[in-house]
Amino acid sequence: METSELLQLVIAGLKNGSIYALLALGFTIVYAATNVINFAQGEFYMLGGMFAVFAFTRFGLPLVLAVPVAVLVVAGIGVLFERLAIRPRKDAEPMALIIITVGGSLVFASLARHAFGSDALPLPEFTPGPSIPFAGAAIERQALWIWGIVLVTVAGLTFLYGKTRLGRAMRACMQNREAARLMGIDTARVVMISFGLAAALGALAGVAVTPLTSTRFDIGAGIAVKGFAAAILGGLGSPLAAVAGGLLLGLIEQAVIPFSSALKDVVALAVLLAVLFLRPQGLFRRSRREKV
Amino acid sequence: MERMKRGALGILCLALAVGVILPGGCAGSDTGGDGGAATGEPYVIGAVLSLTGAQAGLGGPEKNAIDMEVARINEAGGINGRPLEVIIEDDASDVDQAVARTTKLIEQDNVIAIIGSTGTGQSMAMRDVISEAGVPQVALGSGSVITAEFDPLVFQTPWTADLIVPLALQYLADEGLTKVGLITEDTGFGKDGQALVNAMAAEYGLEVVSDEVFKPADTDMTGQLTVIKSKGADVVLMWSSVAASSIVPKNMAQLNLGIPLVCSHGVAKQEFIDGAGEAGEGVLAFAGKVLAPETYGAGTPSYDAATGFVERYTAAYGVAPDHFAGHAYDGLYLVVEALKRLDEGFTPADLRDEIEATSGFPGIGGVFTFSATDHNGMTADDIVMYRIEGGSWVLAE
Repeated sequence: METSELLQLVIAGLKNGSIYALLALGFTIVYAATNVINFAQGEFYMLGGMFAVFAFTRFGLPLVLAVPVAVLVVAGIGVLFERLAIRPRKDAEPMALIIITVGGSLVFASLARHAFGSDALPLPEFTPGPSIPFAGAAIERQALWIWGIVLVTVAGLTFLYGKTRLGRAMRACMQNREAARLMGIDTARVVMISFGLAAALGALAGVAVTPLTSTRFDIGAGIAVKGFAAAILGGLGSPLAAVAGGLLLGLIEQAVIPFSSALKDVVALAVLLAVLFLRPQGLFRRSRREKV
Repeated sequence: MERMKRGALGILCLALAVGVILPGGCAGSDTGGDGGAATGEPYVIGAVLSLTGAQAGLGGPEKNAIDMEVARINEAGGINGRPLEVIIEDDASDVDQAVARTTKLIEQDNVIAIIGSTGTGQSMAMRDVISEAGVPQVALGSGSVITAEFDPLVFQTPWTADLIVPLALQYLADEGLTKVGLITEDTGFGKDGQALVNAMAAEYGLEVVSDEVFKPADTDMTGQLTVIKSKGADVVLMWSSVAASSIVPKNMAQLNLGIPLVCSHGVAKQEFIDGAGEAGEGVLAFAGKVLAPETYGAGTPSYDAATGFVERYTAAYGVAPDHFAGHAYDGLYLVVEALKRLDEGFTPADLRDEIEATSGFPGIGGVFTFSATDHNGMTADDIVMYRIEGGSWVLAE
């Protein structure tokens, strides 16, 4: 392979990796607040794309409005999901809550099929046009949007965690929810906001990717597995680690393709298993004392 | 926290399980339209369709077609004066459910024939129960294996890779596109085409320079296409029917690959065009004539069958039927036509023989003529090449 072709694979890896990273951020945020892996995260991604398509085609909203509307609606769904499905069982074992999120994802996917049908639905690119040549390779315009969204999201989350009262409350919950509650932090509110934020990020990812892939009622589960893998690679810790996990997963996949595209997912998951065995805290997680 | 970390491995397993389970759903049953003008004991046929789960997008239109046509047959007086009843069961796109539903149809409902299932895997899995009961099966799965692994009881209505691969390869050879970059989906449908293309390419003087695979859940195929490009392919040949197939022409445009994309019948639907957008223009695909019924010649039985079906379906459901609906129409009518030719008091074996005696039946997928060795019944004459032009499939001659 020529250098430009290798570069093309790297670009593809960073693009897919960024998508995984946005999913991983959603997993990480909810995990931090609740110790729960939210398997409905992939459905937020699906719903984001669905509502954007719906707002754009049915209501004729311009994309610049359809996108934020979709993200806000899904954020609301995330909050409602927490209020109606998670909060009534908030003192249950994490595993019970995880099962609730699995059930939630089934419900979301079924409702989406009834509401939006079973066909794949397309959305135009944010800025249509030919790809941008780069050192013999090509970069899709939509990929630039995805990278931009990842950058802004990480900056925003870093600011939130580092500089705001809410962010400090979220970090306190991450450390020890019971202690945080005793210190006067409204942990129920933190959990609710975490679900809303995670849903918004999932929706944002879904909206940004739909122009490339179209969306369909059943795509949530497949992408959730990738996002979850990225989150575990990153160690379910800081936003930067989640992004690093996502990018790494994307690059590993592309590195396998020249040898066997059929084994792409197998190798990626094998790496994930190896990480779980050798470094269960994730690749990028520093010790907690350092972090806080 | 540390306890949870150790639990991460368990959660991973759960994640994988969820990925497998989520597309599924609950199985249930539904009785297709019965009643009407005809009186007397109804003929009861069973249909196992994937109404939920991964193949719901196919099973839904199949059920629509069967419901609509059963009502129409009964309004017109039924079959030989007796009404027709089709009991539709949902296999939830699941092999085990398909077997269980088939058993139920045979043992509880005493059906005289089975239509289905939607998927190749389910259709094959049902075979043991079918054989034991000795009732004929008209499968709607498109895997070549269904008729290649010949069973006298099993018929098949969709176009198969066996039927279409030789035509696609012949086209590539005629155009001098000898270096083939093959890309297939990682499913039974994709593997069927992948195996046949690899086995037959040399016969047509073609070389598969790159053999790439993608998953239905993939969001991007630029990696695979970059490898295809690096091997110097003259053409991309795609065997895929999942929604993700529409990403391939988009990625090819973004990479400025500059070589044609030739596809199987799997993409012969509007969904693919909508997904691919501008990048879809010029894409070639092989499929039956139903997308352009005028190729039959106006007024011919095939033309009337195709246009009549499209009109009725569109009027009933508000959308044009895809070819999956057409394959179900064919499955139903192959049984119905055989029933019409039979006298009272026939056995399931007689029905099987009569289906096998089908000759020149103008269906939606093509003109069916079965024989003791051919239970797919269509020929290369039933398949034509289409090109996407101005956002729809047009004949590419």
